[in-house]
Amino acid sequence: MDDIEKKVIDLVAEVLVDVNKEHIKLDSKIVEDLGAESLDIYDMIALLEDEFGMEISDEDVEKIRTVQDVADFIKASQK
Amino acid sequence: MRRRVAVTGMGLVTCLGTGVEVNWTRLIEGISGIRPITLFDSKRCQTKIAGEVPTDFDPWQYVPAKELRRLDRHQQIGLVAACQAVDNAGFQTPPDNPYRYAVVIGSGIGGLSTIEAGYEVLREKGPKRMPPMVIPMAVVNLLPGLVAMRFGFKGPNFGIVNACASSASAIGEAYRLVASGSADVAITGGAEAVVGEFAISAFNALRALSTRNDQPSKASRPFDRDRDGFVLAEGAGMLTLEEFDHARKRGAVVHAEIVGYGATSDAYHIVMPDPEGSGAFHAMNLAIQDAGINLEQVDYINAHGTSTDLNDKTETFAIKRSFGPVAYKLSISSTKSMTGHALGAAGAIEAIYTTLALERGIIPPTVNLDSPDPECDLNYTPNVSVERRLEYAISNSFAFGGQNVSLLFRRCC
Repeated sequence: MDDIEKKVIDLVAEVLVDVNKEHIKLDSKIVEDLGAESLDIYDMIALLEDEFGMEISDEDVEKIRTVQDVADFIKASQK
Repeated sequence: MRRRVAVTGMGLVTCLGTGVEVNWTRLIEGISGIRPITLFDSKRCQTKIAGEVPTDFDPWQYVPAKELRRLDRHQQIGLVAACQAVDNAGFQTPPDNPYRYAVVIGSGIGGLSTIEAGYEVLREKGPKRMPPMVIPMAVVNLLPGLVAMRFGFKGPNFGIVNACASSASAIGEAYRLVASGSADVAITGGAEAVVGEFAISAFNALRALSTRNDQPSKASRPFDRDRDGFVLAEGAGMLTLEEFDHARKRGAVVHAEIVGYGATSDAYHIVMPDPEGSGAFHAMNLAIQDAGINLEQVDYINAHGTSTDLNDKTETFAIKRSFGPVAYKLSISSTKSMTGHALGAAGAIEAIYTTLALERGIIPPTVNLDSPDPECDLNYTPNVSVERRLEYAISNSFAFGGQNVSLLFRRCC
C-alpha cells in the first residue's frame, strides 16, 4: 500500500469512526460495505480536498465506489 | 383544567463539573469554576478568564464518536445533559406513546464557534472548502432534534432563542405544554458554548465582561460594590418535566413541581434593563399569580445576578417592587458568582440549582460578596450556604433585548 492509499484509509476511518479501521480495505465499497451515507460522503470529500489540495466534483463522486477508486482518482489528479 | 407539572429528571454540565451531584457539592461549598481561558489563545482579548467546562467532560459514554465530531460543542454538552436528565427520570425509551414526549431547548447563539471557524475557512480557502456540517452545527433547533432522535420522542419539538433567558423561556413553554395537556413529558433546558475569541471580543466591545484577569475566582461578584461585569461561561442544564400523575403512577422521584411562569418584555432598550425594573417586577408577579400563592410564601430567589452594574441594581429594585417589605425576609443568591454566566443555558442551570435548593433545604451562596453595593441591600446569602426549609422558590432570567422570565417552583411533599 502506498502513502496515498494509506492516507485515504485514514481519512475514511476518520469519518466512519464507528467502523473498525481493520475492516477498511482498498477493495471495500464505501457505501455498500462500510455503510457510508450521503453526509459521510460530503464529509469525506471535504477532508480529501483539504488533504490533497484538489477538487472532487459531484460527477467524479458518481464514478467512485471503492477506497481504491478514491486513491486512483487522487493519483490521476496529481499527474 | 390545568395539570400539575413535576420535575423528575435533571442533567448538568457546567464549569463546576459534569453531573448534578458534583455541581451541587461544589456549589454549596462556594467553589468558583472561573479560570484562565484555555480553549483559545486569549492574548489579544481584554478578558482572559471564563467558565470553561473542565476536560473531564466525557461525552463519549453518551454520544457515538461519529456523531460527536459532527456536533458543535454546545450540542455535545447539551446532549450529555439531556442524557443525564432522561437517565435520572428513569423511564424506558423509546416510549410507547412517543407523540406525548416533547423537547424544548434554548440557546442564545447556538453554534457561534462553528460559524466563526467556518468563516475562517471561507476567507482562507474559499467557498468550495466550506465544511459540510456548518449549518447543522450552527442552528439552535438541531439540539432539540438530536435529543428527539436519541430517545425517539416525536411530540412538539423546538428551539428557543431568547439571549440570556433562552432556557428559562424553554422551561416555561415546556411547562405550559405539559400543563395544558399537549404533552405528558418534556425534556427542556438549554446549552451554550461560545467561549472563543469572537464572543469574548464581542462582549468586550459592549463593555459587558469582567476584566479581573489576575483573580479569576473573584471576578464574578454579583451585588458587590467592586463588580465589573459578567464572566462568560459554557454549560448546559436539562430537566425532565412530567405530568404529576404520570410520574406518580410509574413511581418516579419528584424533585420539585413547577407551579408558575411569568414572561414579559421591558420594551425599553437593546442592552440595558428598564431602570424601573417594570418588566422584571411583572414577570415575578405573573409567576406568583400563575401559582395562585401569596408573596409571603416565597422563600428563595435564585437571582439573574450577572455581576454587571445595571442588572444587579435593577433586579434588586424589581424584587423590592414585587415583594415590598417581604423582600427583606427572602433568601436570595446568585449562583453565577461561581458558575459565571452561561447565557442561554443559565436559566436551566439555575432552575436545577433552585430545584435542588428546595429538595435539600440548602441555599447556595453568593460568593465574593465582600462589600455590598449600597443599592443592593437584600439578603443575598453572602459567601456561605445556609440551611433553610423552603416551600416556594423563584428563578429569574433576564435578557439583552428586554425579555424577562420568572419560573416558580414548589418543594415536593
